[in-house]
Amino acid sequence: MKTHTLSSHIISYVLLFCIGLFLVTFSIYYYFTRSTIQETTKENAVALANNTVNRIELVLNTEERIPEIVAKMLESSFLDRDSLIPFLKSILKNNKNICGSSISYEPNYFPDKGMFYAPYVFRQGSKIRSTMLGNENYEYAFMDWYQIPKMTQTPYWSEPYFDEGGGNMLMTTYSVPFYTYKKRERTFSGVVTIDISLEWLTKIMSTVKIFKTGYAFLISQNGTIITHPNKDYVMNQSIFTIAKENNQPGMRDIGRQMIKGGGNFASADFKSKWHPGKLWINYKGLPSSHWSIGVIYPESEMFASLHQINIILICLIVVGLFLLSLFTVKIIRKLTSPLKHFADSARLIAAGDFNVQLPEIKTQDEMKELYNSFSYMQKELAEYIVSLKDTTAAKEKIESELRIASEIQMAMIPHIFPPFPDLPQVDVFAVLKSAKEVGGDLYDFFVIDGNKFCFAIGDVSGKGVPASLFMAVTRTLVRSISDKEISPSVIVSTLNKSLSSNNESSMFVTFFLGVLDLATGELRYSNAGHNPPVVIRGNGDVIMFEKTKYIPVGLFEDFDYGELSLQLAPGDKIFLYTDGVSEAENVENKLFGEDNLMKVIGENVKASPRDLIHNMEVGLAEHVKGHTQSDDITMMTIVYNG
Amino acid sequence: MKSWKHLILKTGIVIIILFSSLSSQAQLPKLVFAPQWLPQAQFAGYYVALEKGFYKEAGIDVEIVHPSANKQVTSLLASGKADVISLFLVTGMTLKNQGMDIVNVGQISQHSAILIVTKKSRGISQLSQLNGKKIGIWKSGFDEVPKALIAERKYKVEWIPILSTVNLFMHDGIDAMTVMLYNEYDQIINCGLNENELNVFPASRYGYDVPEDGLYCLKSTYANKKPELKKFLQATLKGWDYAAKNKDYTISVVLKRMQQAHVPANKVHQEWMLNKALELIRPGNKGVKTGELKEADFLEAVNILYSRNRIKPKYTFTDFYQPLK
Repeated sequence: MKTHTLSSHIISYVLLFCIGLFLVTFSIYYYFTRSTIQETTKENAVALANNTVNRIELVLNTEERIPEIVAKMLESSFLDRDSLIPFLKSILKNNKNICGSSISYEPNYFPDKGMFYAPYVFRQGSKIRSTMLGNENYEYAFMDWYQIPKMTQTPYWSEPYFDEGGGNMLMTTYSVPFYTYKKRERTFSGVVTIDISLEWLTKIMSTVKIFKTGYAFLISQNGTIITHPNKDYVMNQSIFTIAKENNQPGMRDIGRQMIKGGGNFASADFKSKWHPGKLWINYKGLPSSHWSIGVIYPESEMFASLHQINIILICLIVVGLFLLSLFTVKIIRKLTSPLKHFADSARLIAAGDFNVQLPEIKTQDEMKELYNSFSYMQKELAEYIVSLKDTTAAKEKIESELRIASEIQMAMIPHIFPPFPDLPQVDVFAVLKSAKEVGGDLYDFFVIDGNKFCFAIGDVSGKGVPASLFMAVTRTLVRSISDKEISPSVIVSTLNKSLSSNNESSMFVTFFLGVLDLATGELRYSNAGHNPPVVIRGNGDVIMFEKTKYIPVGLFEDFDYGELSLQLAPGDKIFLYTDGVSEAENVENKLFGEDNLMKVIGENVKASPRDLIHNMEVGLAEHVKGHTQSDDITMMTIVYNG
Repeated sequence: MKSWKHLILKTGIVIIILFSSLSSQAQLPKLVFAPQWLPQAQFAGYYVALEKGFYKEAGIDVEIVHPSANKQVTSLLASGKADVISLFLVTGMTLKNQGMDIVNVGQISQHSAILIVTKKSRGISQLSQLNGKKIGIWKSGFDEVPKALIAERKYKVEWIPILSTVNLFMHDGIDAMTVMLYNEYDQIINCGLNENELNVFPASRYGYDVPEDGLYCLKSTYANKKPELKKFLQATLKGWDYAAKNKDYTISVVLKRMQQAHVPANKVHQEWMLNKALELIRPGNKGVKTGELKEADFLEAVNILYSRNRIKPKYTFTDFYQPLK
């Protein structure tokens, strides 16, 4: 069998509790930290987008004013047709961000100038040059930068484009329609444009970084990618074509929100080849150009710091739990180490070593109490064992003496069978089994004057040594009285007188004494309160003697005992017994009884005395079934052979 | 001695065969083809036929040149810089009526891809509601069919010429716009408008399913190079057939062409265009084979171009269409 130590039991409970506690604490911590990080990130991303939008707007708003003012000036006829080019040149000189500017009139606006009149000023290297736009192959009136503000009557930021003539720069054009009065009617007359390089915009956007790989991108009003870390996307793809190419309807939805000028911080409902897993996006529109900035980053990076802390935390907790286990084991072992010692000591004490060394306890706790109890037990046990030894020795001495007494008692009664080999008229067999070492039953027989066979059976009240002594006295008295008397009543009366006098202990004895005349077969007997014997006639009749009217001897000194006679024929037997036979009890406290007694005798009418007694013993044993013998058992059978 | 002679003879024969084959390789008849627009998936079949060597297999050396802003495809044909060009049917017919001696030698597209599209937000859900509205239309042509469609119904519309982008439409500068299903329509979708936000009026729905891209050459070229033109048409149709079965490959070829020509290339858009171009090539239930011009379509175009205006065309179907049989 596998044994578990106390420490392992305690540590498993402690660990289980600690792990549970940790899990609950950790979950709460994780939940709150996560929401806090998400909230903070949202604020940062929104601030980042707003900041970027503001930086771009600052430039765009500043530049927007210039053509707007020029348009107003044209409408108010402040500007002379011939001064337009120098005027535009001065604009470029004073505005580094502007790469080109034009004032493009409606076709045929100046009939004397032909179809097209559109002075255009632009940078070429460090110089500012001028030209006139418009020819058969470049009908500017159909270009977006002209047509859209004309048709919509609002200023227009063009879709960004690569200016192949000017160093392949990413450009955009801002066009403002202007009106003049023809026949007093405010009529659309052309557009004022400025071309702005978007290099600075690309730079601003490339500085926007969030977390490890998060980035910002800019899309035009049509969703065209203006800036993006992936250069292949720029101007080749729109957010919608990317969405379609990668089959991400969620990206298209966000793109639609973006070009409508919306702003939001949301979990991106699309996947990207750039980063697997969940993405977050924050977007915001540019109020001027209606372009839109998106800031996108992976969720895993948003929570990267949290995950890092989590790993450290879990490591610390694992180490902590390990140390806790180690420490707990040590402590418990230290605290409970005396227990093992106590257990060993208890085993040694049980084995009889009362002087075994108990473990040394320095603490004043339960262990000290245990020590005190153990120590007390050790002391008490030692004392008890010493007294037990003495008692046992005394008992053994008594038992030894009793054994000797028993031997002496047994030696008092005849125990050699057949007792009278030279006396063929009579045969006897008897047994006496004391319930204790010494008993109060007795039997005796002897021959008087050569032809009288005297026999007696008795049962002293009580048991043990007093009864045995009383029995010995009775037996001795019977022997000495029968030396002088042969009448059973005289013998019994004499015996009664002797026993009654000085009978301080008020003991008595039921006593049956018979004298058989061997010559005639006459049996004279006196029964002092004893069980009636049984006569077994030679023809098989079994008769129990009548119940006696005489009281046991030793009770009243002056009681007169009478005697009766019975004629025996040769072959008749007499069976005598004490109440140890008839009152033998089994486990159910059921007595053997006179009926059983008579039954056994009836079955053994022809048996020899020895066999009869033996069979009676067997019958008794069957009845009691091993129940402890509570009373002395004495049986005697006499055969008169004539 | 006999074996030596034999060997020399054999070697001589091998050398002659080798040289003759090399020289014939070098002398493959050359044919220059010019589609009517810049490189895009609309012309995928020609690029694939060239890349896969279908023209060479047919025994012709084909070069594909594209028109530019300064040089229109018709000027390439007129100046002899191209032997065969691609044109809309109505464009080809107009040119012929103007006196250019051209013939149609094959009709690649069998259907009209022209739509008039409006945003649902403009509230135009019936064709009749276009009356009095501004409709954007290509400045560069292809306007015969939509104009006929509107004229037939006597709607008064303001046609706004547009160069190439859909931006004016997106910015609501116009109420509607004529678009090609394979091109501008998808550009609008790629600007973030969903199909369910648009109302479309396809020309074909109103009885104007006029074929578009066809192959044209000068009548003199037809007379001189008929076998080569026949080979060209067959190899081209083989190219289209291959393109239909190998779209990924075809798109990669188209994108390569576009990048070489420095034209902004968008894969998704070109995929859309390829699919639509392939749909247009199939004659369906017209009762003609792929690559053939149906007389009824020609007559429909005549009706659109001339009959309405009570003009009699200067040529007949047989003058105009010269099948390469």
